[in-house]
Amino acid sequence: MKNAKLLVTLLYILFLMLPIYWLLNMSFKTTNEILGTFSLWPMNFTLDNYIKIFTDPTWYNGYLNSITYVVINTVISVTVALPAAYAFSRYRFLGDKHLFFWLLTNRMAPPAVFALPFFQLYSATGLFDTHIAVALAHCLFNIPLAVWILEGFMSGVPKELDETAYLDGYSFWRFFVKIFIPTIAAGIGVAAFFCFMYSWVELLLAKTLTSVAAKPIAATMTRTASTAGYELGLLAAAGALTIIPGAFVIYFVRNYIAKGFALGRV
Amino acid sequence: MAEIKLRQVRHSYLRDHRKEEDWALKELNAVWQDGTAYALLGPSGCGKTTLLNIISGLITPTEGRVLFDDRDVTDTPTGERHIAQVFQFPVVYDTMTVYDNLAFPLRNRGMDSARVSARVGEISRMLDLDSMLSQKAYGLTADGKQKISLGRGLVREDVNIIMFDEPLTVIDPHLKWQLRSKLKELHQRVGVTMIYVTHDQTEALTFADQVVVIYEGTVVQVGTPVELFEKPQHTFVGHFIGSPGMNLLPCSAADGATVFSGIPVQTTNAHKFKTNGRRMELGIRPEFIRFDNSGFEVEIVKVDDLGRYQLVETRRAENTIKMILAEGTSIPAERPRIAFDPKHTWLYADGWAVS
Repeated sequence: MKNAKLLVTLLYILFLMLPIYWLLNMSFKTTNEILGTFSLWPMNFTLDNYIKIFTDPTWYNGYLNSITYVVINTVISVTVALPAAYAFSRYRFLGDKHLFFWLLTNRMAPPAVFALPFFQLYSATGLFDTHIAVALAHCLFNIPLAVWILEGFMSGVPKELDETAYLDGYSFWRFFVKIFIPTIAAGIGVAAFFCFMYSWVELLLAKTLTSVAAKPIAATMTRTASTAGYELGLLAAAGALTIIPGAFVIYFVRNYIAKGFALGRV
Repeated sequence: MAEIKLRQVRHSYLRDHRKEEDWALKELNAVWQDGTAYALLGPSGCGKTTLLNIISGLITPTEGRVLFDDRDVTDTPTGERHIAQVFQFPVVYDTMTVYDNLAFPLRNRGMDSARVSARVGEISRMLDLDSMLSQKAYGLTADGKQKISLGRGLVREDVNIIMFDEPLTVIDPHLKWQLRSKLKELHQRVGVTMIYVTHDQTEALTFADQVVVIYEGTVVQVGTPVELFEKPQHTFVGHFIGSPGMNLLPCSAADGATVFSGIPVQTTNAHKFKTNGRRMELGIRPEFIRFDNSGFEVEIVKVDDLGRYQLVETRRAENTIKMILAEGTSIPAERPRIAFDPKHTWLYADGWAVS
């Protein structure tokens, strides 16, 4: 019985990991081997693909660009969402429920809908092909999401905590920074994670709003052929590297995300 | 330390408050004397917490003024009022240790660390928190957290008033007794004004010098536990306090005479009654009824022997009358007659004692 359980689990993991293994497998092969033969592991093991990515600016700048706008976006989204979520969780005002729901409606349209207006607007204001352009565009989707997640965590904190801090002689901002933010640190972690994730994988807007200077890695990867012909090994290596930041971030917030699920807000 | 006055304070949570029932707290004039232990007693949702929050400044009353020693503090922020408040559910700063939690209010007021540690030591000893001072507050039990909340309320010595908002709800019964007597002991030692909110009459009556009874946003009576028992000014006080509560019987009254179910009844206050035609009630506590051959006839429904006393439920016409008799009192088997003690029989008009 115990063995059967183990077997099922192993098979399941194997099944899940297969595409990732295949990606890694390809990344250590030459393009000729990928196209020419079927092999379960690299016959001619090579690190050339990785070396190329780390030395060629058109490749490694893709990562730097992506990381830059993702970080800017995450910082803006969480900073803006914190006070907004606090207001939604602590105050009752005219139309608060409608406004709160309205935030979600921003996510009801596919990003493609916004590609053209954004492109036109950013070209007109000279923001085209800058990191901040992509970061701002992603805010449209990430701020509402962050507000929703943070509001859930904040509502789990009794308002007596605020009141006690005032009784203890704290001003609002001192309370907010010194006590409230540490208390909902888990929520901030989860919100930041989701902003990061969305911004990291989003391709359409990022590709539309950039050309050279801020071109994201995902856009670089859509370039399957070059003057040297197919570069499948190189693409596989780029893909493998693109998984790493996400895996890294999720490792740090995995416990918080479970908590977020428990609150029903993730 | 200060004497706290509420002058014509009213509060409504609604923007639109034209109707009488829109007010969470109806007009209130009250004086909280320095050094007295008060209990605010009333059912859930009657305005107790609103009243506390008005005193602490977390809520600004819709109307009226709040005065500390004749200084108007209605618009003074909470932090400057020097108040300690303990809430129903534990509020601790999870990210700090127990020690830091207790020291927090003191450090905030710029107290030097030697005095902070002396004071925290004293409070933690009192609440048996010594063993966990260096632990993080995160992950403690609800009991433990509530003790920290209490400790934080008690740690400052220079507060005007300490307010407890049903602080022992989450604590188990055994510890409840212990903590309540500690609070009482502390009050006697330090002499700071305390207001203790509760809906449990035993808690109110054992803790307080003065009990303030609130019902539907109105203060119906302020008095010592004995006064509430012997001279209830409102039918709510009569039936809320006491176990079982006061018997309330419909009656008619005219020209100083009260008639219940065709029998004239002597009361302490009927002679003050002027008009007629409103809802009249007769109130008598079960403790003040006895069997008496000169009284009126009733039917006995059941007798519960509760050890120290017997609870007898009788009926006359549609009305149930409960009485409490000392252990071993004999109960007449046939044609029982009972009589009310006139000194403890009250006449109420529309809920309020006639005066």
